[in-house]
Amino acid sequence: MHAAFAPAIAVAVAAASSSVEAGRLRLNNVGKRFGAMAALDGVSLDIRAGEIHCLLGENGAGKSTLCNLVFGVHAPDSGSMLLDGAPYRPRGPADALASGIAMVHQHFSLVEDASVADNLLLGQSRGLLKRREAGARIRALAAQYGLELDPDAMIADLSVGERQRVEIIKCLMREPRLLVLDEPTAVLLPDEIAALLAVCRKVADSGCGVVLVTHKLAEIRQVADRITVLRGGRTVASSTAPATDIDSLVAAMIARDPKASTMPAAPAAPRRALSSDVRDEVLQVDGLTVKDAHGALRLDNVTLIVNRHEIVGIAGVEGNGQSELAAALSGMTKPAAGRFFVNGRPLAGSAPQEITRAGVGIVPEDRHAVGCVTGLSVAENIFLNQLHKFTRRGMLDRSAMRAAARGLMQRFDVRAASEDVAFGGLSGGNQQKAVLARELTQDNLALLIAAQPTRGLDVGAVEAVYNHIRAARDRGVAVLLISSELDDLLAVADRIVVLYRGRIMGVCPAGPEQRARIGAMMAGQSHD
Amino acid sequence: MTNAPSLNFTPARALPVAAVLLAMAVGILLVALTGVPVGEALGAFADGAWGSPYAIGASVNRAVIFALVGTGFVLADRARLTNVGGEGQIAVGAIAATAVSLYGGVQGLPLGLAFVLPLLAGALAGAAWGALPGLLKARAGTNEVISTLMLSFIGVWLLYWSVQSERLLRQPMSNSGTLPESLEIPSTTRLPFFLGDESMPINIGLPLTVLLGLGAAWLLARSLFGLHLRSVGLNALASRQAGMPIARTVVLAMTLAGALGGLAGAIMLQGDQYALKSGFSSGYGFDGLVVGLLARGSLPGVFAGALLFGFLRSGGINMEMAASVPSALVQVVQGMIILAVAGAALWMDRHGAAR
Repeated sequence: MHAAFAPAIAVAVAAASSSVEAGRLRLNNVGKRFGAMAALDGVSLDIRAGEIHCLLGENGAGKSTLCNLVFGVHAPDSGSMLLDGAPYRPRGPADALASGIAMVHQHFSLVEDASVADNLLLGQSRGLLKRREAGARIRALAAQYGLELDPDAMIADLSVGERQRVEIIKCLMREPRLLVLDEPTAVLLPDEIAALLAVCRKVADSGCGVVLVTHKLAEIRQVADRITVLRGGRTVASSTAPATDIDSLVAAMIARDPKASTMPAAPAAPRRALSSDVRDEVLQVDGLTVKDAHGALRLDNVTLIVNRHEIVGIAGVEGNGQSELAAALSGMTKPAAGRFFVNGRPLAGSAPQEITRAGVGIVPEDRHAVGCVTGLSVAENIFLNQLHKFTRRGMLDRSAMRAAARGLMQRFDVRAASEDVAFGGLSGGNQQKAVLARELTQDNLALLIAAQPTRGLDVGAVEAVYNHIRAARDRGVAVLLISSELDDLLAVADRIVVLYRGRIMGVCPAGPEQRARIGAMMAGQSHD
Repeated sequence: MTNAPSLNFTPARALPVAAVLLAMAVGILLVALTGVPVGEALGAFADGAWGSPYAIGASVNRAVIFALVGTGFVLADRARLTNVGGEGQIAVGAIAATAVSLYGGVQGLPLGLAFVLPLLAGALAGAAWGALPGLLKARAGTNEVISTLMLSFIGVWLLYWSVQSERLLRQPMSNSGTLPESLEIPSTTRLPFFLGDESMPINIGLPLTVLLGLGAAWLLARSLFGLHLRSVGLNALASRQAGMPIARTVVLAMTLAGALGGLAGAIMLQGDQYALKSGFSSGYGFDGLVVGLLARGSLPGVFAGALLFGFLRSGGINMEMAASVPSALVQVVQGMIILAVAGAALWMDRHGAAR
């Protein structure tokens, strides 16, 4: 059922407690491919009535694909699904709804300028709207599950958490047999999360199966009856006793594929004697704090230093402030408080071009949204932030730019038909190598900020990316490496800073022997 | 409309042409249905469009206006900005050109400055009319479709007002029959003829427009600004991270588009109408927008579309006068051409994506 894998946890399906019924939804060896990529590779899963089943995994692990199969958005390529023992082959979300499967999506589908009651009546009424009846039913449901909600309130006036309650009631009104919640806590504040988890428990107690998709561990500890960990489209671990072994779940979730776990640990370069006028501290971050659009604290008073000749790794389960840290340091987000300096220059709140000019190279987390312009050519992307080098009196010297691009493509092994083809046609690995080529060859490069630089890349490309980053470090560049791949950080970084809920949980030297300690800090347990 | 294999002639080019021909065929059918003899109507159309040197001159002068507005549209479109403000930009350009020609003290200037300065004034006024939506877009994210459209109405009514009031540009009232128009501009401020004379009144607006078109093509293909336009249009976030001046690019794109519209207004005044009157432009800005839309980002496409619309409009006007075909019908045909080309584009996109 799961891959042979060191930290995997014994499956204890048979030991389920007697209060839990058997097999509401069963997936047998289900697979789904998109092009050459296997999003799901033979997943088997058993979700029972009356239980909260947590589906755990990093981005790209296959959680969303699994949800989409269950909800009928996609059809599986192989394997089968059984709902209450009968074959289940939904041809669309309407089939799924008719079969009693309801889903709360990450993105809400509510009409802003209508009341809660009207939103809930949408798609459920024919002819006349029976508002009074609906209002009474909503109040009854709300009371039953402890969902505070005013049927007459306008959606536009509601907070994100309240809107989510509307979505949940929308599902409950259908009296579902199975309720799927896709990353429901990503948008919520801490006290809202607690309320949501209580609702999940009540829904499960009423006999419905609840699937909770998440990558946050704290909430799993609170509510999960059973846990399945997905990684690379496979189930790598499952457990019935969540509270006991969170650490090994973290390990299962973030560990590399066994094939790829042989990341060579290159020795740190011998430190060169630094002349006295060269600062050792390149990046100084002082009390950096970032709030999101809703005012929630995402990065909380982070202070750290990155030196020359050093790779500092930022470890943490995704969604614990890493993205916000990278966005603030690259000038894409204005910090709410705090400062940061590169070679002594204050840069908090500066525009990206000033940060680039200060000698900062940035490999953004979201390559397609921020790192490149897929409609432009490879050459144009390689010099996207250095076009001025090829400009004389406003005119672009394209042949010089193409020649320079060819040189860099060779140096960084970017494989493309030519430097003129559209960037979007390159494979992810080649795109990332091109981004690295751009960021690592800037003039006066002093600091490289790389956020999840190996996400979605194959093993060979991962190696290449880390080799380039190490080479930069050996040249004296300071590197801040943000990654959710703990094993990679342990092998590549010199020091590791662990982020948890936007705060620094601890700092420790890198090395395989630190694995357990860092894993615990990633799960929110302070060891310091 | 099949996607048949073709020799050196891609379906991407053939399809819009076929669409235009189809729409014209339907137009002829509609003319027949109104009871006008088809031969007579077509004869009148041909006479008006290209039947005499004068007709050709008038058609080309119309095409110049469409080409200028269309070129501006394509420039802004490269940054995914939609400039629908051509009509207002023409209006403010014409107002400025009239004011400078009549009251700017330019009529005695040597070296052609007498007509160059009003042209520049028109372009500047149009530039301001384009820069404003650009600034609103860059600073506040205001949708440029709405702001350019609203500014169009303001520009058109400013023109109306300026020829209604003697304190502005209206000619002095000598009797109750004095029309609400400006005085005719002095002969030195009128655009010189490019080829020939009054019998074929093509003015220097034509070579100027061709030069500007080539300049725009060069800007888009060769300059840093051209690449900035594309990059900002394709992915503003990545462009910002790469340190491109997003706001400046947006404002400059809209300013250039507006300047070309304003210049079109000045050329209409100084090369053709010679006096400002209400109803001065009668939709040239919107037709120029359509030319830009149909060209789908290609400047050669703009010039081809401008010629088509220029001759179509001249022929249509004569068809109404000589053969009593309602002018509305000409506009119906024009509308069908737009729909046909847009439909062809959609079809090509769908099939391109499926491949």
